Order: sequence, then C-alpha cells, then structure tokens
Amino acid sequence: MKKISRRRFVEGTGAGIVAVAAIPEIKAQDKPIATSPSVPRTTIKLNVNGVDHRVEVEDRWTLVELLRDHLDLTGTKIGCDRGECGACTVLVDGTPLYSCSQLAVWMDGRSIQTVEGLAKNGKLDRLQQAFIDHDAPQCGYCTSGQLMIAKALLVSYEKKNAEPTRDQVRTAMTGNLCRCSNYNHYVEAVMAAVKRPTVTLDGGNA
Amino acid sequence: MTPLKTVGHPTHRVDALQRVTGGAKYTSDIKLPGMLYARVLRSPHPHARIRKIDLTKALALPGVKAILTHENCDITWGSGDQLNQRRLFNNPVRFAGDPVAAVAAINRHVAEDALHLIEVDYEVLPFLTDLEEALKPGAVAIHAGGNLSPNNQRQPVPQTYKRGNVADGLKAADRVFEDNFTSAHHNNAQLEIRVSIAEWSGDKLTVHAATQGIANCRTDIARDLKISADNVRVISEYMGGGFGNKNQCQDSDLMAAMLAKQAGAPVKLEFTRKEDFVAVHGRWSSRQSYKVGVKNDGTLTAIQMTALSGAGAYRKGSCDLSGTEIYQVPNLETSVSPVYTNTAVAANYRAPAYPQAVFGIESLMDDVAYALKMDPVEFRLKNMTRKFRDQTPYTSNGLEDCIRKGAEKFEWAKRWKPIAGSGPGPVKRGAGMAMGMFGSGLGRSSAVLRLDGQGQYHLHVGVTDVGTAAKTTMGLIAAEELGVPLEKVSVIWGDTDTCPYSVGESGSRTTVQTGMAVIEAARDLKKQIADKGAPKGAEILTAMATTNPQALQGVTRSSFAAHFAEVEVNVETGHAIVTRFVSAHDSGRVVNPLTAQSQVQGGAIQGIGMALHEELLYDKRSGLPLNAGYYGARIMTHLDAPLVDVVWVETDEPYGPFGAKTLGEPTIIPTVAAVANAIHNAIGRRIKSLPITRDKILGALSGKDVLA
Repeated sequence: MKKISRRRFVEGTGAGIVAVAAIPEIKAQDKPIATSPSVPRTTIKLNVNGVDHRVEVEDRWTLVELLRDHLDLTGTKIGCDRGECGACTVLVDGTPLYSCSQLAVWMDGRSIQTVEGLAKNGKLDRLQQAFIDHDAPQCGYCTSGQLMIAKALLVSYEKKNAEPTRDQVRTAMTGNLCRCSNYNHYVEAVMAAVKRPTVTLDGGNA
Repeated sequence: MTPLKTVGHPTHRVDALQRVTGGAKYTSDIKLPGMLYARVLRSPHPHARIRKIDLTKALALPGVKAILTHENCDITWGSGDQLNQRRLFNNPVRFAGDPVAAVAAINRHVAEDALHLIEVDYEVLPFLTDLEEALKPGAVAIHAGGNLSPNNQRQPVPQTYKRGNVADGLKAADRVFEDNFTSAHHNNAQLEIRVSIAEWSGDKLTVHAATQGIANCRTDIARDLKISADNVRVISEYMGGGFGNKNQCQDSDLMAAMLAKQAGAPVKLEFTRKEDFVAVHGRWSSRQSYKVGVKNDGTLTAIQMTALSGAGAYRKGSCDLSGTEIYQVPNLETSVSPVYTNTAVAANYRAPAYPQAVFGIESLMDDVAYALKMDPVEFRLKNMTRKFRDQTPYTSNGLEDCIRKGAEKFEWAKRWKPIAGSGPGPVKRGAGMAMGMFGSGLGRSSAVLRLDGQGQYHLHVGVTDVGTAAKTTMGLIAAEELGVPLEKVSVIWGDTDTCPYSVGESGSRTTVQTGMAVIEAARDLKKQIADKGAPKGAEILTAMATTNPQALQGVTRSSFAAHFAEVEVNVETGHAIVTRFVSAHDSGRVVNPLTAQSQVQGGAIQGIGMALHEELLYDKRSGLPLNAGYYGARIMTHLDAPLVDVVWVETDEPYGPFGAKTLGEPTIIPTVAAVANAIHNAIGRRIKSLPITRDKILGALSGKDVLA
C-alpha cells in the first residue's frame, strides 16, 4: 500500500476519511517513500486572537501544528490528528473547524480564534465561567474544543436572535468527543451560558 | 451522618481556570530547548521473526539523530509484562503493532519519514486471534510456556477460587441454569495520546510523563533502566485521561529516555491515535460459562463460572473476571484462564475485571428471575451480598438502599415490563437493572503539609489528577481537618521532586488512601501549632505523614452501586438507544458532590458505549486490526449520551477520610449489564455477546445464534 502523505491525507478528508479509517492501518514497509531534500515553504499572513502574524510555513504543516509548535498556543489540543475527535476545534473566520485537518498554508488572510482568545480584558467568556460552574472539564483535554464549538453555536443563534434547545446543542457538539464522557455537564454548562444575555462575534462579553 | 464544613459541599476544581483557558500544560504542550521528536515503527505482521533490520537509509536522512531497535536496546519493560520479560523491542514480534524501532529526529516529519526508510526483513510466523484456537493442542506457542498464561503462583493452570461445594449446591437446587457470554476487547481511548519527554542532565533523568502515578512511574523507570530512583524525576502536571492505561511507567517513557541518551538531547516521543488503539492496551475480552442453581423461591444454591480472558500478546494485566461476588451464595467456584493471542495487549481499563463479568452473571441472573416469575429487583434484594464471600461483614453496605432508592428514582415499577418483548409498534421500550461492588486498592501514601508565616497552608501530595479532581479532593480533606477554608490550602502536585510518595491514581484509591495521609499530616500540624504556636515571618511549620494501610482484619470495605437503564430498540433496524439512566452509588460520604457527579455520569456513559458499540475488531485472515480509530471504535458522543440521574447513598463508613469510600471505578461496573437487561426487556431476546450491536439484535430477533 502506498504511503499517503500528510498533505494528500488532509486534502482527501471529507468523503475519503471513512474509507481511510476502514482500511487495516498498519502497513508493510515494502515501498519506502523518498524524502524530498527541500521542503516547500510559503509565507502567509494571518490573524490569531486579534494579533497579526506573518509566518513562513512548511506546506505540510497543519493549522494545529502552526498554532501549537510555532505560535506557542498550546491550548488547542491534538487528540487524533485525523479529523475524528474535535479536540483541536478552532474558529476560522468564525467557522468552527478541526485544525488538524486544515493546512496552515490555507490560512493566508484568515482570522483564527483559539481558546486563548476567549477571555477578554481579564474577563472570562460566559461559556468559560459556565464550564467552571458546571464542572464541564474532567481531564480537560477536550475542553478547548468543546468551548470553541459551543462558542460558534452561541454566536450563530445570537445572530438569528434565537436560543438553541438542549438537543440542538447536543447535535451541534456531537463532533467533539469527551472520553471522560462528561457530556451531561458540558450540555448543562452551554445551556446555562445560553441563558446569560448577549454575546459578541469577537468572543467578548458585551 | 454529621454535615461537615468543607467536605461534602459542591466545590469547583482548584485548577478549573487553567482547564477552561488553555493554561493547563499537558505533557504534549511542553517544549524543551533543542528537543527532538520521536516516532515508533511497528510490526505490520501479527507474528513474525525479524531476520534483519537495515537502518542505513534512515540514518542517512538529514535530521535523524537516534534510532533504537532490539539490536541496540535490550530493555525489559517491567510493567509491560514482567512474567514474560517483555522488552521495549521484541523479537519475535507478537502482534500487529509490536514496536520494532523508534526514531528521534529534528522534527516529527523527519522522524515519520525516517520510519519509511527502515528496512525490516520479517520471517512471517503462523498467528492466532481466537482464544479457543490458542488453547488447542498444536497451536503455535506465542510464549515459551504456551498460550495459557500462568496463575498468581506462576503455575500454568487457571486462576481459581472456591467456597463450599458446587456439586452439592447444584444437587440441592430445584432448577439449574446454564449459559455462555462473551465480551470484546475495547480501548480506553482517552483523548490524550501517549507522550513522553525525556531529558538527561549527567546521570539525572527527568521524564515528563502522561502518567496516573508519578511515584510508581519513577520507580519503574529506575528499575527498568537499572539506575537509582534518586536520579529519576517524573513530572505530570496535567493529564488528559487514562482510565487505567497510564498506570505505572509506559514503554514510551523508557524509549524516550533511551533515545535521549543516544542522541544527547531531550526527546519528545508521541504515539499516534492509531497506535493508541492498537499498541496501547484495552480491556480484556472474555468468554464466560455459568451454571447457577436456584430454589423455586429464588434462593441461590450454587454458582459456577469457567472463563477465558483475552490477554493479547503479553500478560500486562490480571486478566481476572469479578462478577459473582455481588451474590450471596454458599457454593461458588470460579476458574479464569488468561490466554495469549497475536492481538493487541489487554490490561487495565476502569474496573478492569468487572463490567464484562457483571454483564455475564447479571444477564444470567436476570433470566433466572424471569424464569421464576420474580421481579429482577426483588430477586436481587433477596440474593445480594450481605457478607463478603458469604463470610466477612462489610464495614458498611448501602447496596440495598442503592437498589431501592435507584428503583424509586427510575420509576422501575412503571417502566419495567413483566413480559419481556411485549408492547406495540416497531420501537420497543424496556427497562433493566444490575448491581456491582468494588473494594479500593491498597498502598502506601505520604503527605507533607506546611504552614507559612502568612497563614497559608501548602499541601504536597504526589497525585497527578487524571480528571477525577484529586487535587481538589486532597485540598478539601486538608481544609476540613485543619478547620480552614479551601482557599487557605495551596495544593502542590505532579512532580516527584516536590511531592512525597503517593500510591498513584489507580484502583480508585487516591481519596481513601492518600486522603488518610493528608488527614494524618493535618493532625500532626495542628498539634505542632498547639505546642509551638503559629509560625511568624519566615518561619515554617512542617508535618509529614505516611500511611500504609493493610487489608482490614475481620471486615471488608467495599463500595456498592445499582444501575437502571431504559432503552428504545427499533426491531426493524436493530438500533438501540438508552433513553433514561439512573446510577445509585454507595461510596460512603461524598467529598465533593459536584465532581463526583461528573465521575458517575461519565462512568455510566462510557459503560453504555461498551454495552452497545465498542470492540477492536480483527481480520481473522490477516490478523490485522480493522477499526483502530475513533470512528471505528464508536465511543459515545454528545448525541448518544442520555441524561444520567445520580442517587447518593451515603453510608456511615467508619474507615476512610471522613467516611469516604472509593468511587471512580464502580461508576462503570453495573452499567453494561443494566443496558443488556433493558434490551432483553424491550425485545424479549437475550443478547449474550458484547457489544450489543444492530446485527446481533436483528440476529436474535430472527432466531439466529449470534454467539460469536
């Protein structure tokens, strides 16, 4: 079986990922791939949590690699690195995405919000406070992702001037796994945050 | 039970802020100057001898700094399998995923690329994936002693237990019930993958480990690397879940240490998620056969269990099966044979020996109750354990209250159908229940408590906090004993250089064992304050206590639980969901009801996944795993999770800190059986094989034998 490069894997995610997951995963090392002597690089501009960055990235880097290894924003976690668990969820121009399944080069000109960008002016986002109050994190490893998907959800309902139901919250967050299985408290926390008034697009408490 | 000032009140975690801001530093978040990244090459074959490994091309790749194989690294991984002297890199390799080489390079991409340049010449050997096949005469021997793994005395015979005389008990019975049950290997699947960072400074080794126990991780590393424990420091500040698979020291810790030594630089070794499913252990599978003797009035006369458990390629765990103890019965025989196969290794996963065994016995007891036309709740109340092993009184026993109060909260009388499978329409509802018990592990623990001149207390405990809120619990216990608010107690944890020995967060024993050391230290400090007065300025008062509890004499301490599940099963599609769940628990006094509720709800939801979805599947022709990832494992999601109602039965427990008993593991023990019994109640068919997937439900409804 031919080794799938990271870039090809990431670009193939979506419809392809289920097929990839179903194939026996340990491969015979019969066809070692050659390594190119020089790795292609691209300079991109992006905004992360309100700060502009100009960085030269390797084309094979994922967004989560860029954030964690090169911008020192380690609040975003890697749980699977293959688009299955949601621990690496960040907002890209307001849209929640698995940052393990986005290449860094695709982020040119985009605005990223991570868990580190939720609190504003020393004040916690209402979701963060609700997560504390309702003991949403157990081990805490999936928590950043749960916060970011919940943030996107609340913002989208705020735009519609509506409030999500409990089932809508569960549906929206179902791509974010929690093996401690503290789902009851996560949903409870998000519903409690819904009840608090107003949320702004940039993540602050209005 | 007398209310207390601090213990017993819902309290936020002391590190809650770090957990919601991204400020909590997990092992994978740590970056050391000059740090290299490492990856592991694993066997693509279920069983093979390595003829030759050629590293020439890999070593020639710019950026590669160190490579380990069995040829240059002969280290026994003690906690991986002491019995068979499992090495970090084994030859022959015994399962698809057995480590063959580890590479450290300047970044993880170079390390990954280097794996593909290592040329391994394998002599492929015959392999086994099936437990019964493995025990047949002439089966290929996976280890020198054969495929039956030895008992506790290291004899090649099953692990047995006996009281009374089962033959007599079965003779005295009005009816004898016999049945077989199976359960699957499934993975702990904690969100945080394996990661270890090792750094040498002269003779001194520092390991940043994702571990459940910094102290035993440290002594294990020292033992396996044959260095003094004084020269090993283990740090684990935040830990992203383990559920038993991060006990002790891991092969990744040792590999990182050896790579760092060879490369002369710090090394971060990461396993991928795929490796976590294949090459990090999961819960052992089982095949259980029972005979149960019962009088017509429902009185049990005998239980016999003969079982196989799936050790996988190495003997990492006890591979025991513990379900029968929840019943009061004079005649009991159990026999468990752990069996090697060329599949992923099995070891501890939250109450390692329990939920699969409780599934077996509680499924059969449910059938007994129906056959005798008894309400399953009444049957359990009649036969539940009153004395441990029919002999030793319990220090406290809230099981009856768990059953009664749980049934009341669940509205059992309304939801359970006396005729299983009855009801109109394609979507059938059903209710089921099951019970469980668990005694905590023992172990030595110490605590150091300091009071500074500003009136702040500093509690040093060797816990890592695997998600159970152990830091907060330790702080609450200290605050209660000292009679101060929690804010007055700073907890210092997760570093063997700053924390005394603690038994480790396994066996559900942190609260009950390390908690007692905290109380002892607090008492000592209070006495010192009374004798010497409170410290002033730069003065510091220090107290240290070590407790090393032995098994209680003449009494047994155990936690108890009863779980109740309601399911909806679509008999046309086979789709089953849990719609209502009640967990009733006797864990003595609940130290922190907020975080304890998280644990109980989480344990139940994990258990529902075990009941309905989870299994690491192997292709029998190739011996390769088929579904090593989250999609394939189908662990519970937000949408799968029902609301779990928690009922506390707080017994007056004379031992343990402020009457607390153990909690973490009991939360999953009766869950699986309760769900299975609810499915039986819904569709009128008994599914005897975990997980209870759609194909099995449809098969049972169409009358096919589904016992795989």
